[in-house]
Amino acid sequence: MPDVHTLVNEFLNQLKKRKIEGSQATAKQAAELLRSVISQQRLPQTHQATALISAVRAVGEKLIAANPVELAVGNIVRRVLHIIREEDLSLATAAIDGLELSAVSDDEDDVERDDYPVLSAAAVAAAARSTLRPPSLQTLLEDTPISAAIPHTSSSGGDSEGKSRSVDKSSRGRKLKHDVIEAVNELIQDISTCYEQIAEQAVEHIHQNEVILTLGSSKTVLEFLCAAKEKKRSFKVFVAEGAPRYQGHLLAKELAARGLQTTVITDSAVFAMISRVNMVIVGAHAVMANGGVIAPVGLNMVALAAQRHAVPFVVLAGSHKLCPLYPHNPEVLLNELRSPSELLDFGEFSDCMDSASGGSLHVVNPTFDYVPPKLVSLFITDTGGHNPSYMYRLIADYYSADDLVVKRRPATTS
Amino acid sequence: MQFDDQNRVGKAKRRALVNQTEAKNRVELFRHLPQYDHGSQLPNLESKLFQLDSVHPAVFKVGLRYMAGDISGVNARCTEMLRALQEAIIDYSTPPEKVLIRELTAKISSYISFINECRPLSISMGNAIRFVKRRIAKLPLSHTDVEAKTALCSDIDRFINEKIIIADKVIVGHASTKVRDGDVLLTYGLSCVVEMILLSAHDVGKKFRVVVVDSRPKLESQALLNRLIAKGLSCTYTHINAVSYIMHEVTKVFLGASAVLSNGTVLSRVGTACIAMVAHAFSVPVLICCEAFKFHERVLLDSICCNEIGDPGALATVPGRMDINYLENWTNEENLQLLNLMYDVTPSDYVSVIVTDHGMIPPTSVPVIVREYGQEHYLI
Repeated sequence: MPDVHTLVNEFLNQLKKRKIEGSQATAKQAAELLRSVISQQRLPQTHQATALISAVRAVGEKLIAANPVELAVGNIVRRVLHIIREEDLSLATAAIDGLELSAVSDDEDDVERDDYPVLSAAAVAAAARSTLRPPSLQTLLEDTPISAAIPHTSSSGGDSEGKSRSVDKSSRGRKLKHDVIEAVNELIQDISTCYEQIAEQAVEHIHQNEVILTLGSSKTVLEFLCAAKEKKRSFKVFVAEGAPRYQGHLLAKELAARGLQTTVITDSAVFAMISRVNMVIVGAHAVMANGGVIAPVGLNMVALAAQRHAVPFVVLAGSHKLCPLYPHNPEVLLNELRSPSELLDFGEFSDCMDSASGGSLHVVNPTFDYVPPKLVSLFITDTGGHNPSYMYRLIADYYSADDLVVKRRPATTS
Repeated sequence: MQFDDQNRVGKAKRRALVNQTEAKNRVELFRHLPQYDHGSQLPNLESKLFQLDSVHPAVFKVGLRYMAGDISGVNARCTEMLRALQEAIIDYSTPPEKVLIRELTAKISSYISFINECRPLSISMGNAIRFVKRRIAKLPLSHTDVEAKTALCSDIDRFINEKIIIADKVIVGHASTKVRDGDVLLTYGLSCVVEMILLSAHDVGKKFRVVVVDSRPKLESQALLNRLIAKGLSCTYTHINAVSYIMHEVTKVFLGASAVLSNGTVLSRVGTACIAMVAHAFSVPVLICCEAFKFHERVLLDSICCNEIGDPGALATVPGRMDINYLENWTNEENLQLLNLMYDVTPSDYVSVIVTDHGMIPPTSVPVIVREYGQEHYLI
């Protein structure tokens, strides 16, 4: 079993060198990596969840720093943190319910009492404290670790109670790890099957003899359109090239091979053709909390053209692309500028770089575009179709407010 | 001509001097426009150099250059075509028992249809041709051949001089007043008028930056970029997809036009509409610079009804990028078509002002110019 550190370093390397393409692959690898981190993490007797959270946070911070533009990594880190918190909360409520039940059944058999370790009220309070509640003002100001408070209370109880409590806590710890890993497995499963779940909804949105426009290439869009084709809808597709990566060529080839009438157009012809298009369907790189979309470059132009001609602009995104952050100045902060050699031949223009006459050349080649939420008509995710104004609500389902800033607070010296 | 009408297409083919083969994967939406296979056209025409007696060599040369794509841009195409017609007129002699006016008009029409077959005429070139035909029609019958020919040649010279060369100077004068220090000007494609404006403003000493936007498949802005940098301007180069990224820095947009139509819409290189739309979204003024002879009384609502389809093979390959070869055998794929549009139509609400040799006018005044000045100037 390879060491967790080597795994983490390998993944970090791949992220830094931009070797992994696509949010789905990145998300899946990140989730698997975090699963390994969790399973190999040794948990202390108390406050397992806090330990897990700081371990995941430590790794997550590094992952996000390696490629800040790849928002899927941050999303997965925050999802896992949320999972840990949720599982811990559900275990704690289950434990408290269990305790209450055992308190009620005091006058029952001793056998049954052995199954549920009997704990005093003080121990119950201690158990409740050890679950993750927002730190109280006192602890924030004093910055004393919470675990310091517990030995004090535990010593007030009896020896036997202490032993049974520790037994209970270690079994709770194992259970927590187990539950978290199960939930992360579900998450990985969700990421892998997001295409199918989105493609299932294709038939509801595409009618017969429709004309669809898309730009660049997205696996989600490919699966979506092919699913509609499988259901015997015949429609035409215009694919804009998506310079300077020309992924549109790939998509067009794929679609034509699967039997759809496809026409490749240049990106400049989008405004000309969109008057004859019924719907624009595109994929996204990430969906932000306000419903804005970080999409491949050129899509803002397409969205504006679609708005002008009242053509619905539909964005397909798996739930791992949903990011809880708000986009502040996204063109600059959430963008990546690629090499100018994709646009200009260096040989021809090398003498322009330092021209004697004083002229200077600057080449701009951004990767992403920001599409504001008012230009998007519909989001189709694996949980169904949503309005851009609803996306903030989905975030509450997947993420906790405590995890928005993954960076750990620097520890103050005591 | 309607290319979706089989009868007409058949008749035209029989009369045609240039052999055109229809492209295999034609786009349904553009059935009414010619979509030819560009691979075999040029060698075919070149081989006919000595066979076509009915076509004057100068006209043949122009047709060949059109087909090869040597000349691009309405001004250049118009000038070359008129010069070729001039030469043809000089060499013309009326056969006996025939009237000059009718014969010459018929000859000119046949030359024009030949040029049309080589490359479809743009809308504004129709204006120039109508001018020539009207001058011929207005020739007094008393003129001898020699006098008629000299009169026509001087008329054509005057047209080129006044409508194109001097008009350009006037436009540059008007538009340069709009360039201020600290401006960031965006331009698209290769418009000779816009290039002149930028260079003249730079010569006067104004400090500004230029953003040059390019698009496939022609990548014609690279030539403009080279010339601007050689003259000492600081330029930023990008492709049309990145227009939203760069537009927040831009203060003004200068665009050229191929024709301006009576409902205020601007027919120009494909992609101009996208640029104007994004500029409008960012509240950046759009200035269209074009000569008055490009105003036409036709109206267009969209880019589909009247357009030109270029060589689809040009989309399949990317010059300089060997790794982009996904569409290598695109002709074999029966469901796949490539569409290479040449023009698109920019709606009038995206245009702030049109700079012409008559002054700076809003797009709503175009039909006024067409009506008032259209007749007068041709009466010279």
